[in-house]
Amino acid sequence: TRPDVLPLPSGTHLLYAQSGRIEHVPMDGYDMKKDDAKAILHLPEKVIIGVAYDCVEKMVYWTDITTPTISKASIQGGQPTAVIRSDLNSPEGLAIDHLGRTMFWTDSMKDCIEVASLDGSQRRVIVDSDLVNPRAIIADPPNGYLYWADWNRDAPKIETSYMDGSNRRVLVKDDLGLPNGLTYDSQSSMLCWADAGTHKMECMHPDRGDRRQVMEGVQYPFGIVSFGKNIYYTDWKRDAVIAVDRYAGRESDEFQPQKRTKLYGIAIAYAHCPSGQNYCAVN
Amino acid sequence: DATQGTSGDCQPCPCPAGATCAVVPKTREVVCTNCPAGTTGKRCELCDDGFFGDPLGQNGPVRVCRACKCSDNIDPNAVGNCNRETGECLKCIYNTDGFFCDRCKEGFYGNALATNPADKCKPCSCSPSGTVGRQTSCSQVTGQCQCLPNVAERDCSACEPGFFNLLSGDGCERCNCNPIGSTN
Repeated sequence: TRPDVLPLPSGTHLLYAQSGRIEHVPMDGYDMKKDDAKAILHLPEKVIIGVAYDCVEKMVYWTDITTPTISKASIQGGQPTAVIRSDLNSPEGLAIDHLGRTMFWTDSMKDCIEVASLDGSQRRVIVDSDLVNPRAIIADPPNGYLYWADWNRDAPKIETSYMDGSNRRVLVKDDLGLPNGLTYDSQSSMLCWADAGTHKMECMHPDRGDRRQVMEGVQYPFGIVSFGKNIYYTDWKRDAVIAVDRYAGRESDEFQPQKRTKLYGIAIAYAHCPSGQNYCAVN
Repeated sequence: DATQGTSGDCQPCPCPAGATCAVVPKTREVVCTNCPAGTTGKRCELCDDGFFGDPLGQNGPVRVCRACKCSDNIDPNAVGNCNRETGECLKCIYNTDGFFCDRCKEGFYGNALATNPADKCKPCSCSPSGTVGRQTSCSQVTGQCQCLPNVAERDCSACEPGFFNLLSGDGCERCNCNPIGSTN
């Protein structure tokens, strides 16, 4: 069941982290305008891992493991501001609930998942047990769910819970290797992940549990983000952003930045917020 | 600035050979944009994540960037495995610890440098009632826990022959059996 291609808002960009920089690639439909790729932010001393975008205030957020901090900056220009600067060890994945105005992140040394308002206030630990190497985290605010992946080599898993950490359960635990990247597509209600151990990209409906392979032979995925018919992921072996057509199940494009070094988190900066109401607003 | 018409208009990038540079519009700061492989930073003075060294020799002799040296006790899928300048290992696994993940962490013993992860560091598992101060740590090498008086075994889990009452928490007491009425 292939959904209709949605009319795309103008001014959509891919954002990704590479070696102390956040770079952007403008999108023309589903095509990466590679020649127009540029750094939007230079933070030479930092190692930026997670990248997330707040479509309401047009802000990019990121985790940095060197200081360590969680910071933000407007994509329309402006100074980076640290929003969380204490009690972090290795903040990696970052997710933004643009409706609830909160952010969620994983810390692979504290082995926990935390939440805070976008200004850093009202911070709270929501999951702190049975985590070994938590990394990717995403939020689905219209339905009120969080999803995260733990690449623990002994027992990798993908889990879900309500957005306060309650009702936690394991969604996937079989035939996983190193599930580094996780993304949720609200149009198709599909949760997709990229695995650097099995070298597969897979998707499932979280509530139906039907799991299917998008493609195999992905080399070393780290970050992944879904956008319409495509999934874009960063690859540590190829030092590139790779576009995969979800429905055709094959690679459709590749962008290799001039600088050959690892790429980390990836996010989509939408020109407009996707439609949808907060789950809590409905109830 | 090439528009001023003086000899100092264009200056060479303050970057290692091959790197390009750019001026940050707001701050007028010059930043290298294409550092040589494995290096990063404003002046290409730092190593990439997963590497350590001092490529410009800012704090002593030049040390080219090398992969984190952590005794095979880090996971290549992890980020931030070592300090980018000193090389101090930050994410030791298999219950190892230390600058190079070269010893067992507190509460574990064995050989952190063993090839097989199962042979590396094992938990001390000191018996609480037989160990001084209910300590959880033991000798890094032998695994010997610090036993209370007259307590035996590596993990202080038994009384020496001729002694009893391990659970007292004060060590074991002599049996004081009458030799005439006892079998041995």
